Amino acid sequence: MSARSRELFALIPVGLLVTAGFTAVLITQSDQLGDLSFVYGLYFLGLCVATHFVIRARLPDADPFLFPLVALLAAFGVVMLFRLDDGLARDQANWFVVGLVAFSLTIVFLKDYEVLERYRYLIATAGIVLLLLPRLPGIGETTNEAFLSVSVGPLTFQPTELAKICIVIFLASYLNEKREVLVVGARTVAGIVLPPLKHLGPLLVIWGAAMVMLVFIRDLGSSLMFFGAFLAMIYVATARISFVIVGLVLFFAGAWFFANTVGHVQERFDIWLDPFEDAGGSGFQVAQSLFAQADGGLFGRGLGESLVQLPGASKDCLGEFPDCGAILPAPHTDFIYAVIVNELGLFGGAAVVLIYAMIAERGFKTAVLADDGFSKLLATGLTTIVAFQAFVIIGGVTRVIPITGVTLPFISYGGSSIVANFILLALLLSVSDKARRRVRRENEALEAEYR
Amino acid sequence: MNDLEPLAVALRFGFLAVLYLFLLWVMRMSLRDLRGVATPGLETGYHEVAGAVAPATTDAWLVVEAGGGLSKGERFDVFGGISLGRSPDADVRLDDRYASGIHARVYGRGSSYFVEDMNSTNGTLLNSQELRGEADLQPGDSIRIGDTEFIFEVA
Repeated sequence: MSARSRELFALIPVGLLVTAGFTAVLITQSDQLGDLSFVYGLYFLGLCVATHFVIRARLPDADPFLFPLVALLAAFGVVMLFRLDDGLARDQANWFVVGLVAFSLTIVFLKDYEVLERYRYLIATAGIVLLLLPRLPGIGETTNEAFLSVSVGPLTFQPTELAKICIVIFLASYLNEKREVLVVGARTVAGIVLPPLKHLGPLLVIWGAAMVMLVFIRDLGSSLMFFGAFLAMIYVATARISFVIVGLVLFFAGAWFFANTVGHVQERFDIWLDPFEDAGGSGFQVAQSLFAQADGGLFGRGLGESLVQLPGASKDCLGEFPDCGAILPAPHTDFIYAVIVNELGLFGGAAVVLIYAMIAERGFKTAVLADDGFSKLLATGLTTIVAFQAFVIIGGVTRVIPITGVTLPFISYGGSSIVANFILLALLLSVSDKARRRVRRENEALEAEYR
Repeated sequence: MNDLEPLAVALRFGFLAVLYLFLLWVMRMSLRDLRGVATPGLETGYHEVAGAVAPATTDAWLVVEAGGGLSKGERFDVFGGISLGRSPDADVRLDDRYASGIHARVYGRGSSYFVEDMNSTNGTLLNSQELRGEADLQPGDSIRIGDTEFIFEVA
């Protein structure tokens, strides 16, 4: 079976799961069994197959499992949102289509991703501007005191999602050029290998940027996610674990300092340490999330069965459902993982974590196969930033780390997240296509030699 | 509740079953990929290139310690003499900015093994000493080219 046939074959179970999911939700919510779920399932499958043909035409050697795994995550998202609210699911389905179009446009128009290396400072500037946009008066908006989104007219988007791609491209290109000087000039101080001081500068700048994000934009989650991806990339670039340790020490020192001085960071830490201390107030979200997950048990309550809204609770609410009247706050964005665990149980939740782990495995495999530094670092960076984002939000919801508001990639409600992550996937598949094509040709040459 | 309830229960477990079967299938394929046992020529095939090129065995190897775009622990047979360098013609290709095209070679003569610097731009270090011309190798010697380091091993 060729890589592309394998990909097409893998889309079949994904389509089945969408159909099964919609059927289950329809049965529980309206006690009826219609052909509606088949229509939705076929629609979803059709979109994925159409995109598959774009990949087949442009990136014939790309990794066969990344796209089906991502489609599976998107399927989880659409089914869970349909279960929460029809309107949300419709929006999400539209964004999914926009995401697939953005994905296709990226792989059609970006013929050689290596040109990105040449525009690194432009891309870095774009990334920083995007990060700072929400802070601009007039268009910036805050969510839970964090400056997360920008709204222009009727459109609201979260620039962090696009910024993460820009920053990863910049870091890949920068580290690829500087990795030798970072390693060769290294000195050993008290048993720790330190990078040369003059090259430590850029690293401190990145650390500073993460700290600025923490305080100025108040976005804990993104700060953790960016810095994590940065450390993974510097480790791959230099193979010096000491750089990672120094980075982690700096980050935790900074985080500890701000946890003790800045109010909103401090509050997050207190909630993390004991969400039940003020379970009706500040700890409400996390406490409810933990209750929901515990309530799911091993196999969950079943799709459509979880209690997300008290009957009649929205009467004294002015807003609409997910923002208002939900038992579990933000069930469509930050806490969607808790709803999944509630309905599909420990096994369903573990499956979601497994999907992210497998995406990470395929991404790292791509980095291993790639034969030039920029491709390796780009694949590593793109993979780790998605993996870290999933870790940051799933970790927050399950109280492994303090809760911070980032979206669950490909699942959470939100246009910018879906579109940006599909562009990211397009880049990763481009790297994979080039690397695997080279490996295939080498193998074919060897075969020919021995025949 | 009603007559659709059995179906709802079946869907609940069926959903998880299909999900896990799918994930197991992907995992099996990925593992096969990682171990590199796929049949040569398959699109996922990534079989041992070194083994195929040099089927004969010797009792001496260069073992990668660090760098060069190679993975740590990777072994190169010294059988018949091997060249190290940045050029695609080198037997051991180094992805190292400080390596010359053909930087050095390692070969056996009689019962001993030797390393020779091929007039490289940045030099070769044998056990942290600059190598001039050629020198004989003892088991455990380290050869350093730019950021890339090998250990010479004998069976």
